[in-house]
Amino acid sequence: MARKQRDVVSVEWVKLELLRTAYATRGGLLSRRDPRIVLGWYLVFAVVPWLTHNITTLAVLFGLTAVAVLVSRVGPLILGLFVIGLVLESTYLLLLAWLFDGDITTVLSLVTLTLKLGTISLASMAAFVSLDPEKLSDALISLRAPALLSFGVSYGYRMLPILMTEFHTIVNGFRLRSAPLERRGILGWRAVVRLSTTLVQAFYPMMLNTAKRTRTTVEALETRGFTFAGESPLGRDLRLAYLRVGAADVVLLAVTLVLVAAAFVTGAQVPLFAQAR
Amino acid sequence: MPAVIEVRDLTFRYPGAEVDSLVGVDLTIERGDFVAVVGGNGSGKTTLCKTFNGLIPHFWSGEMLGSVHVGGTDTHESSVAALSHQVGYVYQDFGNQLVRPTVRDDVAFGPINFGLTDHAERTEQAMAQLGIEHLASTFVWQLSGGQEHLTALAGVLAMRPEVIVVDEPVAELDPVRAEETYRMLARVNAEQGTTVVVIEHHAEFIARYARSVVLMAQGAPRWHLPVREALSRTEELAEHGIPAPQVVQAVRALAPAAPVPLTVEEAVTALAGDAVVTSSGVSTSGAARAEPTTTARRGPVVGRLEGVTHGYRDVHGHLSTVLDDLSLTLHEGERIAVVGSNGAGKSTLLRLLTGLDVPRVGEVEVEGISTRSTSAARLADHVCYLYQHPEQMFLQDSVRQDIAMFPQQRRRPGTAELVEEILDRLRLREVADRDGRTLSGGQQRRATLGIALAMTPALLLLDEPTSSLDVGTRRDVTSMLAALAERIRCVAVATHDMHLVAEWATRVVVLHGGRVLADTTPAELFDDPDLMAAVNLVPPQVSVLGRALGIHPPPLSVEELTARVAGPVTAGVR
Repeated sequence: MARKQRDVVSVEWVKLELLRTAYATRGGLLSRRDPRIVLGWYLVFAVVPWLTHNITTLAVLFGLTAVAVLVSRVGPLILGLFVIGLVLESTYLLLLAWLFDGDITTVLSLVTLTLKLGTISLASMAAFVSLDPEKLSDALISLRAPALLSFGVSYGYRMLPILMTEFHTIVNGFRLRSAPLERRGILGWRAVVRLSTTLVQAFYPMMLNTAKRTRTTVEALETRGFTFAGESPLGRDLRLAYLRVGAADVVLLAVTLVLVAAAFVTGAQVPLFAQAR
Repeated sequence: MPAVIEVRDLTFRYPGAEVDSLVGVDLTIERGDFVAVVGGNGSGKTTLCKTFNGLIPHFWSGEMLGSVHVGGTDTHESSVAALSHQVGYVYQDFGNQLVRPTVRDDVAFGPINFGLTDHAERTEQAMAQLGIEHLASTFVWQLSGGQEHLTALAGVLAMRPEVIVVDEPVAELDPVRAEETYRMLARVNAEQGTTVVVIEHHAEFIARYARSVVLMAQGAPRWHLPVREALSRTEELAEHGIPAPQVVQAVRALAPAAPVPLTVEEAVTALAGDAVVTSSGVSTSGAARAEPTTTARRGPVVGRLEGVTHGYRDVHGHLSTVLDDLSLTLHEGERIAVVGSNGAGKSTLLRLLTGLDVPRVGEVEVEGISTRSTSAARLADHVCYLYQHPEQMFLQDSVRQDIAMFPQQRRRPGTAELVEEILDRLRLREVADRDGRTLSGGQQRRATLGIALAMTPALLLLDEPTSSLDVGTRRDVTSMLAALAERIRCVAVATHDMHLVAEWATRVVVLHGGRVLADTTPAELFDDPDLMAAVNLVPPQVSVLGRALGIHPPPLSVEELTARVAGPVTAGVR
């Protein structure tokens, strides 16, 4: 088969998709809001599903977060992985329930759990695809998270693309310098084993190379006042001066709360499979 | 002028070290000076500069005797935080100095941490000063090396320090970008009176920008002299691994009585009076040089690109065209230098030849095998690619294992003997059992060359093999490359290093806008200033000097220049 350059479902595409997600390059509704409000919005959807077993309520919540995912412009990779995960998990739970003689009750309680987890996953996707590293770390500082955590978040984001490129380069090095496989084996099991061992082996040179780099980073942090900022409140106030909760932010939270309340009201009015409880 | 840095009787030893890194240093740096600190590896240059901003002794708590005063403050009684208002430091691996996601955020990092209320103004000013305002919201991982360096420098400038220390700017930058950094430093130095201290190996930059030179040897300054006087001590500098600029060597050889030139113009003035070009030397030498590239003499084809178009998608989804309908044939016995400005597609061209990527349009062949028809792993039997950063080639625990990896995995006979022979040939025996990452820059390059030799490819591709090497080590790598000829059918190098092009290449491929702008010889390339300017390249000084003296095609080495110029004696006869 002749080799071709592909723009989707290639390693390069996965790298770009991860970056687009991490750096919120696609924009979207939530990315224009104050990051603290976005975190608050996320918390609402992370907590509320656990407060009910009403399938109608959960379905409405699921629908709400699904809409949020669409308006937040979550990329195809993350969304695709989520859908695959959801479908696989449901299938396997149904199979198990059937194997172990479950009835409709079992299925319904499984559906409840899946809806809860799905809602939370969708909300996290919508929230974190909308927060670029600066906003996220500033929101954490503003919410009095430890300085090291907020810095770690922003530094982690900064290193992410470098680590991905480095890892890809080293994996390529292994590909070129190991012997090519003579036979791929049944279902390509040899290729899978080769890929897995390469991924593990490539990790070690990458970590060593990274460790070597961070020596300079640690010194530079010292000279650029990172330690000083940890002890003095001046920098914190300056850094956060741009964060402002505007009218649109309040509207977002209000609308969210109204919709969540509406979900509970609908659940009480039209309880689906309530007999299952 | 008053002193901004005063070092008195300073001795320092790193924790756990066996010897002192600095021994009885006495040094005064005047306010507003532009100082170059030179010296061989391990002479204590970097250690000395780290005492200026208090990293020594506050961060590196070794044994320190003596004192360092910066702007009148004793660094021993101050702190790194307080001193960073006075001294800014740009590291040799400046990329790791950038810690925030975007350029503006990174430049503002220092001022904000120190709670300076005018941080926004400082940030904008520092970026404007270096001409990087347009990059303000760019993510730092999208920057090129030169842009990274300017961002690191802007982060330092935003603190408005009295002293800026820059550690080996040329090491990781191509000469044009390094020139840019130097121009910016000179501007800051002139406009704001900021004292600049650079650690530098390249005498050409020292000659053109520095006002005084400190020579470090065995942990102490040997001397601190004005730049002209310092550069006249050519032998002493060469002893410490800093060969004199080519113009100095040329004038020394042709007009020993003339003052030491700092620029090409000065050298022209010095030589124009009494040197005369021998007319015979010009025509014959020019003809002899041009001959090997004529198509009639070319060997069999080793690699071929036919109508190749390739590009990448960026994070915003735009498809850039890096190579645009490019065709090129690589022949046996050629030493090809692929040159062009950053982003011209040099690395892409090499990557396509390895088969790691296949082009969007067109065909790439190595030894008659199309890269579309086989995997990169199989193609590795024919072609080898050495990355710009050697540490990315070290996949095993020791240099020996790394060299043996390829032939061992492919069960080639005679692997053990081959590895031992390569270790001897590349002088790697004493470091054979160490991890490649722990070696010096020059040893790392030799080790990667060893990996390539063990692969016995027909086509060897190298990406910037001489970047971040000091001048001596660069020579070493150049001569090793020359020695590869007997084992490898064709070698292609992507490079910015015009000295490497001059000394090693037989054919130069100039890339521009995704196409081959010129396919020529080094001498013809350096004889075409418009072409050089179009692709952002700086010819070696000796070629510029030769052209200015009317030699066409220009000489590629100082020896060639002196051979082709009749000295003062001939001039007298005339």
